[in-house]
Amino acid sequence: MSFLIAQSLINGIILGTLYLMMAIGFTLVFGVMRVVNFAHGEFYMIGAFMALIGVTWLGLPYAVTLALTVGLAVLLGALTERLVFRPFRSDELSGMIASLGLAMILQNGALLFFGPDPQAFPSMVSGVFRWGALIVPKSRALTLGVGVVILIGFYFLLMHTRFGRGLRALVQDQQVATLYGVRLELMYPLGLGLGVALAAVAGGLMAPLFGVSPFIGATPLLKAFIVVILGGLGSIPGAALAAILLGLIESFVSSFISASAADIVTFALVVGVLLLRPSGILGRGEA
Amino acid sequence: MRLTGILATVSVLAMVASPAMAEEQTLKIGALVTQSGAGASWGNGMLRAAELAAEDVNKDGGLDVGGTRYHVEVIAYDDAYKANEAVTAANRLVFEDKVKYIIGTVGSAPILAIQPITEENKVITMTLGFTAQALSPEKPYTFRPNPTTAEVAQPQIDWLVENQNIKTVGALFPNDETGEAIAEDIAAAYKKAGAELTAKEFFERDRVDFIPLLTRIVAQGVDAIELDGNSPVTAGQIVQQARDIGFEGVIIRTGGPATQEIVNVAGKAATNGMFVHSAFNPAIETATAYQQRYVDTYGDQMNGFSPFFYDGTKMLFKAMQEAGTVDDTEAVKTALENISDYEGVLGTMNWTGEDRYGIAHQLDSPFYIARVEDGNEEIVASCTTSGCE
Repeated sequence: MSFLIAQSLINGIILGTLYLMMAIGFTLVFGVMRVVNFAHGEFYMIGAFMALIGVTWLGLPYAVTLALTVGLAVLLGALTERLVFRPFRSDELSGMIASLGLAMILQNGALLFFGPDPQAFPSMVSGVFRWGALIVPKSRALTLGVGVVILIGFYFLLMHTRFGRGLRALVQDQQVATLYGVRLELMYPLGLGLGVALAAVAGGLMAPLFGVSPFIGATPLLKAFIVVILGGLGSIPGAALAAILLGLIESFVSSFISASAADIVTFALVVGVLLLRPSGILGRGEA
Repeated sequence: MRLTGILATVSVLAMVASPAMAEEQTLKIGALVTQSGAGASWGNGMLRAAELAAEDVNKDGGLDVGGTRYHVEVIAYDDAYKANEAVTAANRLVFEDKVKYIIGTVGSAPILAIQPITEENKVITMTLGFTAQALSPEKPYTFRPNPTTAEVAQPQIDWLVENQNIKTVGALFPNDETGEAIAEDIAAAYKKAGAELTAKEFFERDRVDFIPLLTRIVAQGVDAIELDGNSPVTAGQIVQQARDIGFEGVIIRTGGPATQEIVNVAGKAATNGMFVHSAFNPAIETATAYQQRYVDTYGDQMNGFSPFFYDGTKMLFKAMQEAGTVDDTEAVKTALENISDYEGVLGTMNWTGEDRYGIAHQLDSPFYIARVEDGNEEIVASCTTSGCE
């Protein structure tokens, strides 16, 4: 029993980190631009395909592919802001509908280009780490390690750079931030670019674990939704807390009861949090 | 005078041409299959089977039924493995496209959902759906041109339990009609063979992370993991993740040909030594020729279900020819039921299932147990419903 508890704990932390990478970009885009980005799952999918193309088509090392994925995703995000979201700035509903349309275009574009069949992604590492009866697949340890490094980098960018301070100021109060010289024309595309890059690199990291197809974005988007609702829309610390909590709940309930029960517990938790704290665990109330 | 001559010639040509042109008609066949998501490789295999069968008759000038030549057109809709999508597509096929023959569905829940429409309107369906409820005397227009777990599981499991010294088995099944039906069949088959399905997990079809479930199964110390009932992609993910957490026991797939897709997803190393059900014997020339044609035409590896639906569609065409009609599906159904010893690309086919389902609309064909080595199937036993050797 103690083995199963420890194993579930490790599985839950890994899962939570993966959810956090998805949720953090999603909540950042909402915090900065006030856009509920339904295309976030498709950016995850595009990141997975970028990694696939880099590793299997171009034969690039995985690390180089991930770095290229981040760079291209920032450009894609900036371009998306300019072409799709900018015309609907300050109109949340239209922005949301535009993101839904974008999601359909991206998914069907991938479908046309890559076809519906899942693509094989070669394992980057094989084997397991063992500590007694505890087992951690090296592939997941790699994903966890790279994910943590990226999250630390993101934290540094957000907390210790001029760009990060600008983003945080926008999340707190857009009007005051602009009065203090934060340039929306620069911060919006870069903010969305950063959010897209986080989703894309999450896709690139998870592709060796879960495979690649045009339809892989739906589940991560749903998880990102759950995490930001639990944590509080726009709250990055809230997202971090909720992601780890969700990962642990799913892992423990799946291991000790069943997978179906894990889904029930998750949604019961979301409903419970919304009833008790409508703005989420660490979310702010509407001004 | 000259004008009169031209008009007369045109009139004569028109009179000669009219009957011939009237005889060339279009026969629409619906393909209601899964083209997106986890079951897409099965669905595409079925759709392409129907297309290749149609290509065969079209290149010979069309299907000759009662002196009329029909150009066969395949109309495809994607049900995304969902019952509600399948119902929408079935309504379109039956009431808008006016088809009387449907290749599909892939899933059990979708076929049960569309049967009220197809049976009521006497539309003949050729389903892959594994559920026992798909076939019954109350559903006389539904046929299943592929064997299911119920047909193939027992002899294979008997052989595997005996030859691999298996005592306990774990399995993961999708949480739906297909998964429930297969879980029951598999559990009964292992029990009868002297082993036991000690760990059983159900999950939603869109799940991709099986580590928590596999952790629970592996913690129970099972000798083998059974993959039957899972789509090719899901099965591949389970294999990969089971090996990731260090499972070194036997991996078995006693139903649903999907080896190539599993290897694609899980990789050759993870699948080495896996035992799979196979309907495909490379020693049979017609089977290999169909596989080559499929690969040449579509540039993809062939899904193992495809040849069944190629044969099934060809049997359907034969039944139309023998009934002398494409419109009277009652007559075509009877002609289809009466086809015996049909020489298909996989071997000799017959209808069976009277004892199990109350109606002989289940295809009976030879099958095999194969061991996967370096991504390829190597046949280790040849089977019939009475046993493997």
